[in-house]
Amino acid sequence: MGYVAVKGGTLAIEESLKRLKYERLKKGAVVDCQRIESGMRCLIDQVMSESSLYNETLAALAIKQAEGSPEEAVFLMRAYRSTLPRNHYSRIVEPEDMMVERRISSSFKDIPGGQILGAANDYSHRLLDFNLSEERDEEAINWVGDYVLEGGEVNDRTDLANLPKVLDYLRENGLMSVCDNDNREPDDVTKESLQFPASRSERLQILTRGQTGAVTSLGYVALRSSGALHPTVGELRMGNLPLYVDNPFNEQNEKDDGYYIGEIKVTEVETLFPEDIQNTNGEKEIEFKLGYGLCYGQNETKAIAMSILDRCLEVGESEHAINDEEFVLLHIDSVESSGFISHLKLPHYVTFQSKLDSVRQSKKDLPQTKGNNEELQS
Amino acid sequence: MIRKKRTEILIKGSEEVSTKLAQEILQAYDVKTIEASKNSLVMVKVRESAQRSLFYLGEVLITECKVMINGFLGIGMVKGHEPSLAYNLAIVDAAYNGDLPETKAWTKALLLEELHINENYEALKRQVLKTKVNFDTMDVQ
Repeated sequence: MGYVAVKGGTLAIEESLKRLKYERLKKGAVVDCQRIESGMRCLIDQVMSESSLYNETLAALAIKQAEGSPEEAVFLMRAYRSTLPRNHYSRIVEPEDMMVERRISSSFKDIPGGQILGAANDYSHRLLDFNLSEERDEEAINWVGDYVLEGGEVNDRTDLANLPKVLDYLRENGLMSVCDNDNREPDDVTKESLQFPASRSERLQILTRGQTGAVTSLGYVALRSSGALHPTVGELRMGNLPLYVDNPFNEQNEKDDGYYIGEIKVTEVETLFPEDIQNTNGEKEIEFKLGYGLCYGQNETKAIAMSILDRCLEVGESEHAINDEEFVLLHIDSVESSGFISHLKLPHYVTFQSKLDSVRQSKKDLPQTKGNNEELQS
Repeated sequence: MIRKKRTEILIKGSEEVSTKLAQEILQAYDVKTIEASKNSLVMVKVRESAQRSLFYLGEVLITECKVMINGFLGIGMVKGHEPSLAYNLAIVDAAYNGDLPETKAWTKALLLEELHINENYEALKRQVLKTKVNFDTMDVQ
């Protein structure tokens, strides 16, 4: 059987795209991008994180175009990102400089600066609020105005832009090893294809842009499949990080010569894993090891799961698949995984025909059953 | 005023400030646009705290613009799609790079705007700190 090139479907595709537009508009109301940006903060954060592109307005547009499908919105954002030049790299961002809006520890009750709950669903009743279906702009504006003007003495002088890290306590007490800054230039998975073994920078970059559901599920697998693995969140903080860019025309790059370009909201998690180690005398000791998670926006479950997977991949060799970096890193990217699954919808006429021929051939020697399947030939 | 501080004030503060300063220069000098405001990307390089190594967190959409005044280049860079703000920032940057006399009088306006920014920060801080947990030890019966 020879290959036959075919073409066609242009008109059908045009009509299909019209149907898609019709499905988006058929209820007679257009979703305003500004409203998506205002009211879908968490979805926007998720899309920005998975697409690895920080811009709320573009994320809102992508969500509108994708009719709320995160995987489609991420695809649109990644495609748009590929059309833009990358002219600059930021100066090294130190998450200690975060202007914190939320910060909790499940390891210590009393932490310097205190447990700051900020905005989180964790403390809500999770009951559907039917009043929201009647909510109006005017009420929202009034509520916000009242909230901002709300009085009440706050004598707390805590500087939210200079909160000490909770785990510094463990380091100061020798319960965790102290590291010096490692200033080696990171690898970039958007520039070079991933090779194994992956570097730490590649691992963290892939984890932070991983699909939220996939990262969360694999983090859950790690807890359930690796025996007694039960990490504790040393610190979870969410807030804004300032970004600075070097002066491209000044090679000296003095600290004060940089350009401030704005800030980005991120979630950072440090997770503690008690692990057996051998000290210099060959005796067994328990020491805390750290898993690290950091991602765009308020994505707490993802950041915690990232920190678990970071530790699993750092440990490496084990009988558990979750410690295998190829297993984890090659399967969590939204565009790669949804793209590969989706390609199954594309025409496979020739390859399938070949398989069909093989099946027919293998059945030839068997006694004929009633009927034949000639009508299935394509 | 040093670049780091003035760009912080002009971006965190009201856009009216950068517009006013840029207008002052536009009325007195020939401002050549070297590169009109356009979107590009900044890759964010971040330090993680487990091993204190570096990795790339992702990219940020920015608007950047370049202008020249009296042979001095000015660059405007700001997060998001902000073409007029990037243009105004570039003019202010060129004015400082060229040490134009107008910049001497700008310090006061910039410091005043910094006060407003600090007031807003204090207000935000008060709201956030209201969510700080005050643990009470339960009585043991």
